[in-house]
Amino acid sequence: MPAGLDNLKHIVVLMMENRSFDHMLGGLSMVMENGQKKYPQINGLTGTESNPDTNGAIVNVQPNAKFQSQLDPDPDHHYPGVDRQIFGGAPPGSGRVPNMQGFVKDYFTQTNDVNRSHNVMSYFTPDKLPVLSTLATQFALFNGWFSSIPGPTICNRAFAHYGTSFGQVGMDLFYIKDPIPSIYERMVQAGHTAKIYYYDQQSSTMEIVNLLKNQPQIFGSFSQFIGDCRGGTLPEYSFVEPCYNDHPGPGGGEVLASDQHPDHNVQEGERFIAVIYNAIRTNPDLWKSTALLIVYDEHGGIYDHVVPPQVTPDGYFADPGNTGTGETFNFDRLGIRVPAILVSPYIPRGTVVPGTEAGANARIFEHACIPGTITNFFLKGDAKRTVRERNSSSFLDLLTDQMRPDSDVPFFHLGG
Amino acid sequence: MATPTNAIFVPCCEKGAYNHNRPAGKLLQSQTLHLREALVQHSKELSAVLAIDPSSLKTEGEVSAYIHRATALLHTHGPRPTGK
Repeated sequence: MPAGLDNLKHIVVLMMENRSFDHMLGGLSMVMENGQKKYPQINGLTGTESNPDTNGAIVNVQPNAKFQSQLDPDPDHHYPGVDRQIFGGAPPGSGRVPNMQGFVKDYFTQTNDVNRSHNVMSYFTPDKLPVLSTLATQFALFNGWFSSIPGPTICNRAFAHYGTSFGQVGMDLFYIKDPIPSIYERMVQAGHTAKIYYYDQQSSTMEIVNLLKNQPQIFGSFSQFIGDCRGGTLPEYSFVEPCYNDHPGPGGGEVLASDQHPDHNVQEGERFIAVIYNAIRTNPDLWKSTALLIVYDEHGGIYDHVVPPQVTPDGYFADPGNTGTGETFNFDRLGIRVPAILVSPYIPRGTVVPGTEAGANARIFEHACIPGTITNFFLKGDAKRTVRERNSSSFLDLLTDQMRPDSDVPFFHLGG
Repeated sequence: MATPTNAIFVPCCEKGAYNHNRPAGKLLQSQTLHLREALVQHSKELSAVLAIDPSSLKTEGEVSAYIHRATALLHTHGPRPTGK
């Protein structure tokens, strides 16, 4: 077993909100150095990717993404809208081909403004996102991490907690149909430690089903996460939730949403990621024994050029009434690609995990890989779970024998 | 520990980024519905425990079951510190 795995005691997952891979990290592919691409392995943008708008004009991707006030109203990311985005608006039925050509037209249904509908083709240049870009290029970047469902937040987050959404493709309360315990319950019942850290009580959690049953045991606040990092009391598995809304802070301060959900400020999310990274990085014992996965729940209706691949079904289906498209969904293909980065001192700088662009060498990841990896590592695979989760890829093989020295890994200095 | 050469500066948000008057989106509205459902479930359990007459509890097993349910209801105000 590599030293990275031998020393691994903690896995931390931070799940952000609603941004696509190309929107956040696609610009890395266009960074040039000495006349050549600096990051040729990253499957990002070339600058020529496009979508038609409702007037038939071709809209290219644009390096003009803004931190705030650009994606308001919120781009559609519910099942019927994502279906239009993937299939270019072709109605369900045999013979249609996924082409990623429906993003701009779909956003027009919300903006009713042709020019504003172009905003879903925006992307950030790497200098705008120093935290995410640094982590992506200095640790492991996944070219092929997809949201689990072509749909919205709650059902996608359910895959990170249960390895399935129990047939849900929407935002409704999902009720557990089968005795598949959450990853936290699996851990605790087996004598291990696991916790969901929500930001504060004004932001709370999106994982309400667990809140009903096990609040004191498996929930903590973000300030407790920071305390647990400092005090060496972090559980074996931690799932961190960002702040989901702007609200008054203690003593009259202002707490900004840090989830990066449009139209929340993207820079605040950058700072949140940096704080988590620094909290782990500055405790030497924790740093060498922790793997941090930063991943987004879904694409939020924002353009990505990679066609989502097929996947092992999870044994559930959503009927036409629930999908809203007139077609049954068998959970046999993934949602749109999202940013995902694995951080550990045992990961070589510049690691890129190949995705669909690598053909037979592709490694496909989605949120069921999270409980899948945790269960395989801490519980040796012993848990009741879906076939899909059981077949999902583990990301821990990216940890190697060689621990990088402190001088070779970044530290974030937060401006006041 | 980190040296100045590998320190990455992270800027602060622009002034005016904070807006608690921003209309709540579908995700936040959905979250409130989920929390309401959690409260309904909580109130059912509270009602069930309040319906028990403590004077009807005769054995240590019955009393401990009552205490367990009551304590679980009362001790849910905020998360507890992590302990390994």
